[in-house]
Amino acid sequence: MLKKGQTPAAYLFLAPFLITIGIFFFYAFARAIYYSFTDFNLFNDPTLIGVKPYVDVLSDPSFRRALANSLVFAVITTTLQTVGALLMAVALNNKIRGMAFFRAAWYMPSITSSVVITLIFLWLFQRRGVANYAITQWQTFLPYTLTLLGVLIAAQVAQVLWERSRRLPAGWFDPALAAVSLLIAVAVTAALSWTGVLSARDVAPYDFQYFSDRWISIGGVQILSIPMLVIIIQNTFTTIPTLMLFFLAGLQNIPGALYEAADIDGATPAQKLLNVTVPMLRPVSFYVITVGLIGTMKMFDQVAVIGSAAPRDTLITLAYYVYTNTFKAGAAPVNMAAAAAIVLAAIILLMVFLQRRFISSEAI
Amino acid sequence: MKKTLFVSLAVLVAAAGSAHAQTTIKINGYGGQDPAIVGDLINRFVKPALAKDNISVVYQPLQGDYNQQLTTLLAAGNAGDVFYVPGETFDGYVATGRLLPLKGVVNTTPFIKSLNDAFTRNGKTYAVAKDFNTLTLVYNKDIFDEAKVAYPNDNDTWTSFQNKLAAVKKALGNDYYGACLAPDYARMGEFAFAAGWQPFDAKGKTNLLDPAFVSAFNYFTGLTKNKVAVQPSELSQDWSGGCLASGKVAVAIEGNWIVGFLKDNAPNLKYGTALIPKNDKTGKRGNFVFTVGWAINANTKNKAAAAKVLNILTSPNVQQYVLEQGLAIPSRSSLQNNAFFKKTTPGAQNSKAVFQGASSGTVRPYYFGTQGSDWTKPINTALAAVLSGQKSSADALKQAQQEMNTFQNR
Repeated sequence: MLKKGQTPAAYLFLAPFLITIGIFFFYAFARAIYYSFTDFNLFNDPTLIGVKPYVDVLSDPSFRRALANSLVFAVITTTLQTVGALLMAVALNNKIRGMAFFRAAWYMPSITSSVVITLIFLWLFQRRGVANYAITQWQTFLPYTLTLLGVLIAAQVAQVLWERSRRLPAGWFDPALAAVSLLIAVAVTAALSWTGVLSARDVAPYDFQYFSDRWISIGGVQILSIPMLVIIIQNTFTTIPTLMLFFLAGLQNIPGALYEAADIDGATPAQKLLNVTVPMLRPVSFYVITVGLIGTMKMFDQVAVIGSAAPRDTLITLAYYVYTNTFKAGAAPVNMAAAAAIVLAAIILLMVFLQRRFISSEAI
Repeated sequence: MKKTLFVSLAVLVAAAGSAHAQTTIKINGYGGQDPAIVGDLINRFVKPALAKDNISVVYQPLQGDYNQQLTTLLAAGNAGDVFYVPGETFDGYVATGRLLPLKGVVNTTPFIKSLNDAFTRNGKTYAVAKDFNTLTLVYNKDIFDEAKVAYPNDNDTWTSFQNKLAAVKKALGNDYYGACLAPDYARMGEFAFAAGWQPFDAKGKTNLLDPAFVSAFNYFTGLTKNKVAVQPSELSQDWSGGCLASGKVAVAIEGNWIVGFLKDNAPNLKYGTALIPKNDKTGKRGNFVFTVGWAINANTKNKAAAAKVLNILTSPNVQQYVLEQGLAIPSRSSLQNNAFFKKTTPGAQNSKAVFQGASSGTVRPYYFGTQGSDWTKPINTALAAVLSGQKSSADALKQAQQEMNTFQNR
């Protein structure tokens, strides 16, 4: 408790934050709510027109597409990044040589600018980009790959059967035998290639257009566009490291005794993960999912960078919708943008509320 | 002592006075190569003319999305005294009330009528065209020679043009294409104008199911039948100029901007230019004028000085310089007999066709009405769906009209 006379000092120290939050959050939020009920277009004096902007926004096909895109993106990305971050944290929590290097390497995508990563992904997934090139190469050299795999499996099976015929214990995936099998497979493939039996196929370049108007549909309803799928991959790639840090911190706090007890009971690694790690990480998971949902619902930069490289409907999100309706040429439907922003805020609040209510209440 | 003080005060006052008399006119325009060009124009023509008036001129380019930045500056009251206003976003700016009507400020009669029309709303002209472009057929002579097909010419109709493209495709086979067509209203609309379509009716509504629009839409998308025409993306290009430069495509529908691009990217390409083909029924051709105008900020404190600057920037000698430098096609109608247009270089020929395009047939500005560029979205979506074979033309147009209704009823 503050003693008498300390209150002003406390407020003095808090002032910079209070002022910033006051101006850039409360004032801005109140203004947005006000504008969402007016006919404001950046240049006129706003007059109240009731809920018309909300009606306009809800009847706008772009808005509905943006809403659907945002929700699909949020759900898929949050799921992928949470699971991925957890698995990666568990992997990096082991005490192996060179772990510091792996931790640093895994964390790199997170500290790189998302704009730069988006540009890199744009190049990777162009029509003549690396992704299509890799697929073309894969198809070209398919005879080699198939031969290698076929010989590898045949050699492994032969070796294991031979070992077993000599009454020696040998598993199907025995690493020592596999190494020998691999050597045999490489030798056979090289020999076949040398003698001209095997050669690369002449295939047309693989030409999938990732940034085009293609959709994954269920029952005729367009659910997820291919460009959005690329962004999901990219977003998962960049956010996993950050979220992994939270899980790593959480993992350090799980008592080792629990794992020892599990070991004594004969639990498999999977059982330990599901029955010890996951329940103990519940508060961290709640935080990670909340941050993930909010972050993905507000996703904007990737879409803005890709811009007109992909058809707009395939990528438009709520945040991007708000942006494009505010920054137009000349008078802009700022009232609609404000209404959409309020809808976005309401959805995020609702998501967090539902999560607190049903998912993790007992863990907090 | 007192005397010294008095003298120094007097000097100060005089200095302040002379500083006050110096008026600065700020110009907002595009970034990119424009700062160099406009800077040169200001140094060569504007500064000498204004030296005695004590007016200085500064060019402040807006990098990135010009319209967005100009809108922000205008809304905040920080925009320049004189600025570019692009024809396609002009209506959005008229709606802001920040453009000064030019009647009695600048004389607009010496400029091409279709260009003045592009900047006139409700009888008030708000900008003077700085320069402009229209669409032309730019063709690769070697491809037509090799296919032994006659070049496109100014008398071509939709049918004869289509036949020429089909003949080229038939003669040269799979690796070559007749034309490169982007799913874009900016490349398809001129056919609709030729067929007699009007983008907005008396009530400001758009009818995409109008037979004239449907016939143009079907003609444009029909050119892709048997791969006679392809989309730029199918050739890993992002516009049809890139297709033409690749040497695989016989014709591109583009404006004068393609000349500089071809000079840099395909210097050995032999090309010619023809006007956009005429509609078989109406016998007319259609065209867009793409133009950027000079406008004066309605809130400027130096209206007279801004008008002076605008007049110099659109004066005959400035426009002559712009034309000769190959920068753009100027907007004064008196320039049609200019010696430059009589040159036989492909670039000058293209400039001539672009200049002619502005007054041949039904020419409309590239504009979308007050609601802005989203207006083209239903049309472009329909074009993309049909060109990529995802939808039939009838279905695509029906959906486009629905979206257009929703958009316009907002």
